[in-house]
Amino acid sequence: MSLGRWAFVLLVPVVPLVQRQIDARLGVHRAQEEALYLTGKQLRRLAPGFEDLVADLYWLRTVQYYGSQRIWGGGHYQLLAPLIDVVTDLDPRLEIAYRYGAIFLSEKPPVGAGDPQTGVAILEKGVRNNPLNWRLRQDLGFFLFTFLGDTKRGADVLMEAARLPGAPFWLESLAAQILYKGGDRETSRRIWKGMYEQAEEGPMKYNALAHLRYLDALDEAEALTRLVRAYEDRTGRKPDSLEQLRAAGVLRAAPVDPSGKPFVYDREKGTVSIDRKSELWRPLETGGTQ
Amino acid sequence: MGSGLNRILAVAANTYRETVRERVLYNLVLFAVLMTVSGLLMKQLSIRQDERIIKDLGLAAMEMFGTLIAVFMGVGLVSKEIERRSLYPLLAKPLDRSEFILGRFAGLGFTLLVNVAVMTAGLYLTLAATHAVFDPNLLKAVYTMFLGLLLVVALALLFSALSSSMLAAVGTVILVVAGHFSDIIRNVKQVAPGTPDWLSQGLYYALPNFRNFDLKSRVVHFDPVPGSDLGWITLYAAAYLAVVLGIALTVFRSRDLV
Repeated sequence: MSLGRWAFVLLVPVVPLVQRQIDARLGVHRAQEEALYLTGKQLRRLAPGFEDLVADLYWLRTVQYYGSQRIWGGGHYQLLAPLIDVVTDLDPRLEIAYRYGAIFLSEKPPVGAGDPQTGVAILEKGVRNNPLNWRLRQDLGFFLFTFLGDTKRGADVLMEAARLPGAPFWLESLAAQILYKGGDRETSRRIWKGMYEQAEEGPMKYNALAHLRYLDALDEAEALTRLVRAYEDRTGRKPDSLEQLRAAGVLRAAPVDPSGKPFVYDREKGTVSIDRKSELWRPLETGGTQ
Repeated sequence: MGSGLNRILAVAANTYRETVRERVLYNLVLFAVLMTVSGLLMKQLSIRQDERIIKDLGLAAMEMFGTLIAVFMGVGLVSKEIERRSLYPLLAKPLDRSEFILGRFAGLGFTLLVNVAVMTAGLYLTLAATHAVFDPNLLKAVYTMFLGLLLVVALALLFSALSSSMLAAVGTVILVVAGHFSDIIRNVKQVAPGTPDWLSQGLYYALPNFRNFDLKSRVVHFDPVPGSDLGWITLYAAAYLAVVLGIALTVFRSRDLV
């Protein structure tokens, strides 16, 4: 083989290797520039008659971006808000972009961007663009209460949603419950149950289910703590472990949370809590769900 | 009258055969691939937006393929015949120039009808394969899209009767693109405040408004499309087509072909 051919054979794999290096160094900046340069309003002008198709393409990109950042991106979601903004500028009636976008933005890392203010802003934009859509208004009410802890506004928005055609009858009573009982766990459970029942199969349903399982885990942890106290009252000392409760016949099943991870027992305080390594564990939420 | 219609139909049939020979309908293969791939992938990629994306993609592809065919086949309908000198033996026969123009228009119109009909069937099949509910409203968007394509053919035919294929293509593309930006032309004063009203309004009404024929977004969002809307769009298309074809006939009649 001639020298030229050898050089060619050797250079072919160099191209992707160099590209990988460039992507690793510049990839993030390039993507951010792109999102900044092309706003939804500009794209609308560039594609008259095809706005919905371009919105679809950007939505696919948003979903892929969210998925890839969640798995490989270390929970960095800088482009998420601009992408959702582009999608909803291109198609202001794409309900799913507001609803899922708000979840992607509001949930705590690594599930979401941990930016509930922007999530709420996306839902507010959805409500502005679709004033008769009760689902978006309902989600805005839920998010104001659940993620921002704003019970007054959350309840007001839910009351507005309840008055729209097609809204479920229980929205009004839920708004009243939020207003008068504030952020108790039962209210939170009603909200996520409502979200779970309405949602079709997909991330929205899974997210609502995760919240419900988390609330169940909190209930179970509290019940276990009560059993520890009852054991202490009866024997005069705290158990050394939760297994000891089981051996004493106080506890029938293994003390695991709904994800299958054992609960953590603090012998000093005599309290039971969700393991930080459990997929259900999350830091204290606003809205008083813990 | 009857023989005149027969001659128009004969030219139309020839035009249709010509487009088939030119492998214009090959775009259907591309459309089929696009629909199959989107039907298979969209469910996983889009989070339950597969039905909407398949509709958007199918309707947009129909419009894009149709417009490309209408422009690039349309611009050759007359000018190519002149450039190849195949028009002269035709006109030596008892065939009026207006019959030739109308036949060419009808022939390419029929090609587009076949094209759009097959693509519509493909779109419905893809939607059925993804278990989407049958939505007859899509046909309303397809109908108005077809009217828009007929208008593109008429414009291409007019330019084709006036000049060479190359110039005809440039002129038609400019008019089609401008017609899609008609809303921007109407509101140009917001961007360029110095623009006189008579210019922006004059251009807005003179240029073909292709946004009129675009019901894609409405049907995909399940908005009602009343029959009266379809009636007005049909009337607009008929009036504009009559004007454009009338000018094309006059130009072609007065053109010195020797």
